[in-house]
Amino acid sequence: MLKPLLNVIDDIGECLIFLRLILRTAYRSPCTWESICEQTWKVSVQSTPTTALAGFFVGAIMTVQFTMQTKAFGALGYLGGLSTSATVREVGPLLIAFLLSGKVGAYTSAELGTMRVTEQIDAIRCLGANPIQEIILPRFLGIVISSFFLLAAGLIMSIFGGMLMGSVFSGINPEEYVRHIPTIVTQFSIGNGLFKCLVFALILASVCTYKGYSATGGAKGVGRAVVGTAVMTMVGIVVFDWFTSLLSETALNLFREGV
Amino acid sequence: MQQQLALQDVTIDFGDGPLLKNVNLAVAPGESVVLIGPSGLGKSVVLKLFAGLLKPTSGKVLVEGKDLHALPAHEQSALQLRMGMLFQKNALFDSLSVGENIAFPMREKTSLDETEIQRQVDFFLEAVGIAYAAALFPDEISGGMQKRLGIARALALRPQIVFYDDPTAGLDPITSRRIIELIQKLREEQNSTIVTVTNDMARAYQLADRIVMVADGELIITGGKAQTLANKDPRVSQFIRGKLDGPLTGRHA
Ligand SMILES: Nc1ncnc2c1ncn2[C@@H]1O[C@H](COP(=O)(O)OP(=O)(O)O)[C@@H](O)[C@H]1O
Ligand SMILES: [Mg+2]
Repeated sequence: MLKPLLNVIDDIGECLIFLRLILRTAYRSPCTWESICEQTWKVSVQSTPTTALAGFFVGAIMTVQFTMQTKAFGALGYLGGLSTSATVREVGPLLIAFLLSGKVGAYTSAELGTMRVTEQIDAIRCLGANPIQEIILPRFLGIVISSFFLLAAGLIMSIFGGMLMGSVFSGINPEEYVRHIPTIVTQFSIGNGLFKCLVFALILASVCTYKGYSATGGAKGVGRAVVGTAVMTMVGIVVFDWFTSLLSETALNLFREGV
Repeated sequence: MQQQLALQDVTIDFGDGPLLKNVNLAVAPGESVVLIGPSGLGKSVVLKLFAGLLKPTSGKVLVEGKDLHALPAHEQSALQLRMGMLFQKNALFDSLSVGENIAFPMREKTSLDETEIQRQVDFFLEAVGIAYAAALFPDEISGGMQKRLGIARALALRPQIVFYDDPTAGLDPITSRRIIELIQKLREEQNSTIVTVTNDMARAYQLADRIVMVADGELIITGGKAQTLANKDPRVSQFIRGKLDGPLTGRHA
């Protein structure tokens, strides 16, 4: 009964130790800019179409959902602001984290796991190079950096999706739709969204590199690494979503009291 | 310096009893040692201990007189640069082309410019006889060619010490012989120290100054061909003659 729980705690602990190793390597022996750019480009290109499409539909969904409520209060003018705010603060980062976990997380852990079980990682060490610096760090940073690009792409598309739904379904024109976006989407909402995005990206990047790097035992081991990545990132993201929401609400309250 | 590589009282345990127990082995500069023994008893582990890929549970691994696992990371990787390794399953970088596989260590660890790297790559591809395949990927070439590529990559930084893990596994007899001749030729050119794992006894006799059998957590050090054939240890005589009856029978699958 206790054993599975202990295993989970072990796993989290080892993942944190691995994260520390990555950060220390980044500080002491950073990888080249080229390799970071290459990975960032790869992740962005891999995921932009999916993220953009999903973003578009999120905007559309939010608009449909908020239409009813705003209509009931005669506040249809705030439709665009509300749905964009919800996307920036919550749905956007969460959705992008999930998409990236399914795509980039699985890809990265399978790739690294295969390199591990075919001893390519050992071969790198044998050639006097540092595998953390050469292959882990660029992938880690690539995922973190590109998740911000993807967030931006997703948000822009969600505004378009919302606008379209706004005029087709709710009967407000695009100008009206965007008018109250600046009123409702404050700097604070944007900061909140960016913070979430960063936290989720850090979770994803450290879990998938850790799981891949520590894979053992052939094809089965690679399979386990991929499944492990999916489970650990999804759970981690949801838990930290709750935690960051709590944190930012508290921060906001403190801020308001202070003013 | 009297010894280039040494294991001193090394024990290694992966959690289900020690695989090697208090073993000692010293390899002199320029010597060629061949490791033989039933599979799964730790031949590859010995090579990985020397190469710094595995840490002994207790005991010391000395490379050029330095305790490999007690060194700070940068000195350890400096020593690793002096060693090259052909992995049992080659461990080629499958996302890089044949030529890039050889260029990789030079790009990472030397300040050679691009034209010089290309010249070196061509030189090594030529030396192992796969020049035509430079632009192909590792999974597009045959097993023998992959071995040759693995050897070329191991030698790319001109290491003083080279480990070959089963260089002739799965190859036909003619290719095997060519690979061993290649290893010997390269060894003479570089005057390097080599440790080779093989269970092909003909090739082992051809290559070895000294043969060491890995079994029962021990290293049974014999000698050259004549001494190995004359060795009294029943495990050695059973193994090298491939007899079905003897102390090794029934213990390992
Ligand atoms: N990194 C490792 N972790 C756990 N067990 C290992 C590791 N490396 C090797 N072993 C175990 O050590 C034993 C010997 O392996 P090996 O040296 O590859 O045998 P061989 O003599 O056939 O080369 C095997 O049972 C293997 O499972
Ligand atoms: Mg082996």
